[in-house]
Amino acid sequence: MSERFTNEPMVVDDLPRLHHGAFVSVDPRYVRGQLAGLAGSAVVVAGIAVVVSWQSGAVLWPAIVGGVLVFALVASAILAALEARRIAYQLREHDLSLRSGVIRHRTETIPFSRIQHVSVGRGVIERFLGLATLEVSSAGPDIAVPGLSLADAERIKQVVAERAGVDDETPDDQTPDDEPAGRGRDARNDWAPPTPPAS
Amino acid sequence: MIDLSQPQRQSPLAIVLLGLRALRSLGVVQLAVLALFLARGAADGRLVVIGVLVVGLFTVNSVLSWWRYTFQLVDGELVVTRGVLRVDRLTIAVGRIQSIAIEQELLHRMTDLVKVVVDTAGSAQAEFTIDAIPRPVADELQRQVTVRSPVARGVAAVEPERPAERVVFQHTPGRLAVAALTTSPWAGLALLAPLLAFDQVLIEPIRNELSAVAPDGDVANVGWWLVPIIGAAVVVFVSLLNLGRVFLADWQLALRTDSTTLRRTSGLLSRTSSTSSVARIQVLASSRNPLQRRAGLHDLHLSNAGQGDMHLIGCRDDEFAATAAIAGLTAVDDLALDRRVQPAEIWLRVRNTFVVAAAVSAGASFLVGWWALLAFVAVPAVWWATWRHVRTHRWSVGAEFATSSRVVTSSTQQALIRKTNVVRVTRSIFERRRGLARIEVATAAGTITVGMIPIEEADAVRDVILHGVETDHRSWM
Repeated sequence: MSERFTNEPMVVDDLPRLHHGAFVSVDPRYVRGQLAGLAGSAVVVAGIAVVVSWQSGAVLWPAIVGGVLVFALVASAILAALEARRIAYQLREHDLSLRSGVIRHRTETIPFSRIQHVSVGRGVIERFLGLATLEVSSAGPDIAVPGLSLADAERIKQVVAERAGVDDETPDDQTPDDEPAGRGRDARNDWAPPTPPAS
Repeated sequence: MIDLSQPQRQSPLAIVLLGLRALRSLGVVQLAVLALFLARGAADGRLVVIGVLVVGLFTVNSVLSWWRYTFQLVDGELVVTRGVLRVDRLTIAVGRIQSIAIEQELLHRMTDLVKVVVDTAGSAQAEFTIDAIPRPVADELQRQVTVRSPVARGVAAVEPERPAERVVFQHTPGRLAVAALTTSPWAGLALLAPLLAFDQVLIEPIRNELSAVAPDGDVANVGWWLVPIIGAAVVVFVSLLNLGRVFLADWQLALRTDSTTLRRTSGLLSRTSSTSSVARIQVLASSRNPLQRRAGLHDLHLSNAGQGDMHLIGCRDDEFAATAAIAGLTAVDDLALDRRVQPAEIWLRVRNTFVVAAAVSAGASFLVGWWALLAFVAVPAVWWATWRHVRTHRWSVGAEFATSSRVVTSSTQQALIRKTNVVRVTRSIFERRRGLARIEVATAAGTITVGMIPIEEADAVRDVILHGVETDHRSWM
């Protein structure tokens, strides 16, 4: 089997771009899940503060510590809400991208050909809300797309698993002519992503 | 006929193995502390209750883990469902599986069961383990995976005859001595670590002697002129220790290759040999301090996918170039490192250092008065280091992604573009205000980062890298 390898000059501007407008936001219920988790933490903190106050008879210090923790939880809740609005993904023919981060914006892309396995995980709160997290593992860093509806997560997982498998099974010598593989030639999506939820 | 398309559950023996694994995951030290704790308070009835509760918890967890754990082969994918509170559904394309091993430990032999270890070679550890299943099921799983996975089939097949191995380089004792004396000597102190076990015999008398020289901790009578002499003596001492360490660990350090694998051998008392396939090499990093620069030597680090990184000390330029060539990389001197970073980093670092120095100074002023202002010495030091970093930092992207910088120690990092696993563009608030970004190219064994570059350049470089990865179908691991 001969390997066809070309090294023609390329114009960087001609390469397909990662369009920032084409990212799909996660399910709005994800915010509720995050806030529910934080509310649970707040209840635990408040409970500990009450117990300590009751046991020691002191009021001031438990109140101060509890107040600081509540402030931290409120700040975390605000950050979590902002983070949930920013998390979005983009599925293209050859890669999956995730946009996240409030203070530090991150856009990470994992080519399908580097994916080792893909799974769908569901925590207790996610199960309650009907959500799921898509976990994509590579030999290097992993990517997790949270806040997907279970149906979307399963569909994306299916597509990603198929693409990741297909890439390897395609003989190298057929790739340039038989498969629309190159981003340089065409990076269109022939798979329709889930409809973005109404904000 | 075993139908693996239906979910398969492990043998109930797996409950015991899962329990043992959960116990092991606590850690040896923690278990020892727990045993000691229980032994000392054995008479206390409450501890017995706690012990029973812990054992019960482990048992319930093991049973639920066993009940939840199923595997099946569906449409060319191995699907594993596992987890108690959090249910994970792991899907692995069979073509990705590097090896599937069947093992039989003592407990398995007694019950005529086997353990299956599935490895996708992306991670340092086995991807997952099926603890106890009947051998026919394991054999069928291995057969179906091997038939469908070209990689696993290659592992199982008889290895083809390899070309003859050649020596890339072998260090002489003289080279090792130079390498040891030009590196930081403090690592040699590790040789003294075993002495800590003889604290009562060795260290206590020394402490007593010192107490006799300066009773009540009063060292005012000791002449200050002794300080540089003691300092020099310490440096000589640790350098000699480091020399010993290098001779012990790297004696006759040699690198050999047969064009598909690299083999590093070294050692005086115990000879170690580590082998890696060339394809597994992900990142080549080098560093050299001013002494090493003067001696013309480099320290090399080959980061490999999985375990088995290789550290090669005291390499000359030609040996560096030869090692890079084996890994498919260009010698750094031949690379056109033509891109630079923005000087905004200087302002960021100096500003952050100033804020920290001001806080430290304000806090310390209550203790040491005006001396607290010495904290601001860090500001010009950081300015100089960052200015030098920005001035010397060069990077390039082509067939490989490479960076180089030199503050006091010079360092380089390079990786083939096709080894990229994830590309990340990140922007802090500071960078967003100035239209800058940071690009991170992550391989299976390390990440190369370039910060403070224009966002347009970062986006374009990401697109170039993705294009390179997605159109290059050559092997990358």
